[in-house]
Amino acid sequence: MTRIRRLSVALVVTGVLGVAAPAAASALTTITISGATASYPLVQLLAQKYVKVHPHKVKFKVTEGGAQVGVNNVVSGASTIGDVSRDPLSSDPKGLDFYPIAKYGICVITNKANALSNLTQAQVISIFTGKTRSWSGVPGATASGTIDLISRTSVAGVLTNFQTLLLENKKVSSIAAEEPSEGLLRQQVENDPNSIGFASNYQSDKGGVNAVALNGVGCNRANALSGQYAGVAHFYEVTKGRASGAAAAFIGWIEKSAAARKIINTQWISIS
Amino acid sequence: MLRRLRSPWSERRAELTLGAVALSVGAVVVAMLVFVAVHAWPILEHNGISWLGGAGNLEAQIATMQATGRGAPASAYKLDAWPFIYGTLLTAAAAVVLALFVSVLSSIFIVELAPSRVRRIAIPVIRVLASVPSVIYGLIGVLVLVPFVGNHLITGAQKASVQNVVELTGAGLLVAVVILTVMITPIMVALICEAFVSVPNSWREGAIALGLNPLRAMLSVTVRAARPAIVAAVVLATARALGEAVMISMVSGSRTFVPKPIDGAIFVFEPLRTLASAIIDFHEGIGAPALSSTLYALALVLLFSAAVLSVAGYLIKLPLRRYQVRG
Amino acid sequence: MSALAPERTLGQPWQTGPGRRSSPIGWRWGDRLALAGAWVAGIGLCVIAAAIVLYMGYRGIEYLRPQLIFSRPAVGTSQSETGGFLDPILGTALLTLIGIVLAVPLAVSSALWICEYGRPSWLARIVESSIEIVAGTPDIVIALFGLAIFQLRLFAPFSFTASGGGVFGRSFIAAGAMMSLIALPPLFATTRDGLQAVPTHMREAAFALGKTRIATIRRVLLPSVRSNIATGVTLGVSRIIGDTAIVVLLLGESLRLESQGSAPVAGLLRGTGSTLTSYVYDNSPAGEGAAPQKAYAAAFVLLALVLCLNLLVDRIGRSQAHATGLRTPAAIL
Repeated sequence: MTRIRRLSVALVVTGVLGVAAPAAASALTTITISGATASYPLVQLLAQKYVKVHPHKVKFKVTEGGAQVGVNNVVSGASTIGDVSRDPLSSDPKGLDFYPIAKYGICVITNKANALSNLTQAQVISIFTGKTRSWSGVPGATASGTIDLISRTSVAGVLTNFQTLLLENKKVSSIAAEEPSEGLLRQQVENDPNSIGFASNYQSDKGGVNAVALNGVGCNRANALSGQYAGVAHFYEVTKGRASGAAAAFIGWIEKSAAARKIINTQWISIS
Repeated sequence: MLRRLRSPWSERRAELTLGAVALSVGAVVVAMLVFVAVHAWPILEHNGISWLGGAGNLEAQIATMQATGRGAPASAYKLDAWPFIYGTLLTAAAAVVLALFVSVLSSIFIVELAPSRVRRIAIPVIRVLASVPSVIYGLIGVLVLVPFVGNHLITGAQKASVQNVVELTGAGLLVAVVILTVMITPIMVALICEAFVSVPNSWREGAIALGLNPLRAMLSVTVRAARPAIVAAVVLATARALGEAVMISMVSGSRTFVPKPIDGAIFVFEPLRTLASAIIDFHEGIGAPALSSTLYALALVLLFSAAVLSVAGYLIKLPLRRYQVRG
Repeated sequence: MSALAPERTLGQPWQTGPGRRSSPIGWRWGDRLALAGAWVAGIGLCVIAAAIVLYMGYRGIEYLRPQLIFSRPAVGTSQSETGGFLDPILGTALLTLIGIVLAVPLAVSSALWICEYGRPSWLARIVESSIEIVAGTPDIVIALFGLAIFQLRLFAPFSFTASGGGVFGRSFIAAGAMMSLIALPPLFATTRDGLQAVPTHMREAAFALGKTRIATIRRVLLPSVRSNIATGVTLGVSRIIGDTAIVVLLLGESLRLESQGSAPVAGLLRGTGSTLTSYVYDNSPAGEGAAPQKAYAAAFVLLALVLCLNLLVDRIGRSQAHATGLRTPAAIL
């Protein structure tokens, strides 16, 4: 009797542990997405909605790391889709397809206590390249002392776009602190009264920081949408070669469906 | 087959099975060394031994590595990792030296000076300190200590004096060393207390009988006799300090910078990266072959230093063997 | 001038008791400084520990709501949408279970082999040194090693393979296997000390009755080191719960428990998730940083768990000391 009991227990355990459940859950593909921290909140929301709208079809694994990490992962096959927050560069490997999914604005942000309302582009360049090092050299700033530059690590797409769009292709000074993600950059700016940094409008709209107008145009979603604000960039989804299968279905859903457009338009700008 | 398993095992079979399982642990360690070395090989091959030096700009080198993916040119493998090694040595040495003083004094307090009610509270409390996870230390550091240092200890003039080289935000050497000291002190206190207690009472009483006051008797007899244990505690604490990644990554700032003692008082406020915190900071880019190789090379240095520590501890304890106190 | 040291054992400070006492007023400067330093260091450590616990407790009570413990984390743009940390708690429990299940056979078998057999002796020394090396290895190096192993094609069934062919290498099994290495040294040490503390006459009595060594192990030794193993397991559990580096590198850091594939349990093991430690790290200003309140709440739960485990170790140690009259290694601290 004990032998039969032991055998049946063994069978049940093997059954629970190893045998595939019936067909309901069988065709579940996993899409791995990695890349920019700026588009991470957006892509997570889109993925969550996609799973709700098309249940039992795909699973998503979304990680971050920076736009360049996304590109590298797509090339090496570790990710199906890469999130990239900058335009394609000539140094990018050949054979990648960039699909634009949304637009966002890049805002210069300071601490809430520093009521700086406007900066000209020349001033932005001078501050971020390290020529102006003290707040006394910035008219309109209520902070005093040394300017604490907060920037991003080199893998960030937002950094590349910031340098291209707002710094006239000059590089951010190497003195700047390099944060690995947007959230961290915003944290630093929130905590340090002397700091200045740059982030997507999603971060600056959260309200904990002071978004500085550029050349008289405020940095917010409305001005980015209307085209008045100069620093508008694209989010891309990148695949190796043409997107196919589940990845193509997801990207197509983002580009075409109304639900996706509604999600994008909450904080970002959809490409209609 | 089930019956053969259930019947009494022969001696030989039992010994071989248990031995095989035990040896598998050894196999895992060997595998660890092999895998880390193999993954680190491209960096070693490209740089020779000079990758431990400080000639190049480490931040730029890491940036290049992150930017290149497959098919990276050979120049992407250039590495001069001295800033990481220097940061590790600096934090570990400072923390261990501080912790040594604090733990010996605390152990004297616990074993000798404390009233029994205080001792009954102190022992569990210090054990609590030993078991707090490092992420909680990091959380308190980054939410409480770093703003405190940044807003109250660093003056505007100090920030302005180095403003063209580095930014002082409070996250840096000071907070990292202070928290690291608090983390490793309980480990040392546990070992040293145990050693103090196992020193025969008569030795200390003899010293007192010869005219020493109790504290000096403690210092010159018990502490001296417990030296092997103190060495063991230092080795253990250094190993812990070298390998601390998460807490240091949270509080030491986000610059790969080499703090210079020449800067005077500002030196303790400057940011830095250690080997372990660099691995955690850059781990997301591990898909890039050059960066992956670098991270494994840093891990190899950590492994090597752990091995060196054990050997050094063993060698230091050797001449102290004539004391009977077990270390 | 010289004090007659009163008859004392540990437990009586030198200031009380009969006989003349040596008052610090008459001491040299250096000794007085050392005395002050010892008091400051001792009391200071206690104050720091109390401050940490009290501060975390204060923040935890401020931010912890019961619904946080029972609701699942979600993606959201504001704090009210991001849910609680039920999945991290489950992840911690699952990871600890896997780690201990893998560590206990390894540790107990190694301790048994070293104490009871241990032939040839150079091999026994190698095993002991290996375990010491594992104990001294930083957890971040173990995590990198785990990544290197589990990204091999051979171990692809243990996580999943991305469409481009790269093995993901991060899953509960991967993290759990490395956690077992973390829990191995304390478990091994307590078991070995327990085995060495069993008096030889018990073994000899069993041999005299005709039992083989393996039968002695099964029937005599293992039952008597049960509480040592329990202490070791609790120590191992508290080390696993507190570890962040392995989780950050090897668990795939998805907010929720995501199983991989369709088999119920195997899918969970191959899947990714998060634990309390990685949740605190991600929500702190070192991670995405958006929610220090949630980080405090989760950290409070974590600290409470670890403190309970501490108490448990204490209880087991004390009951064992009562039962066998032997002092456990950690008796003084």
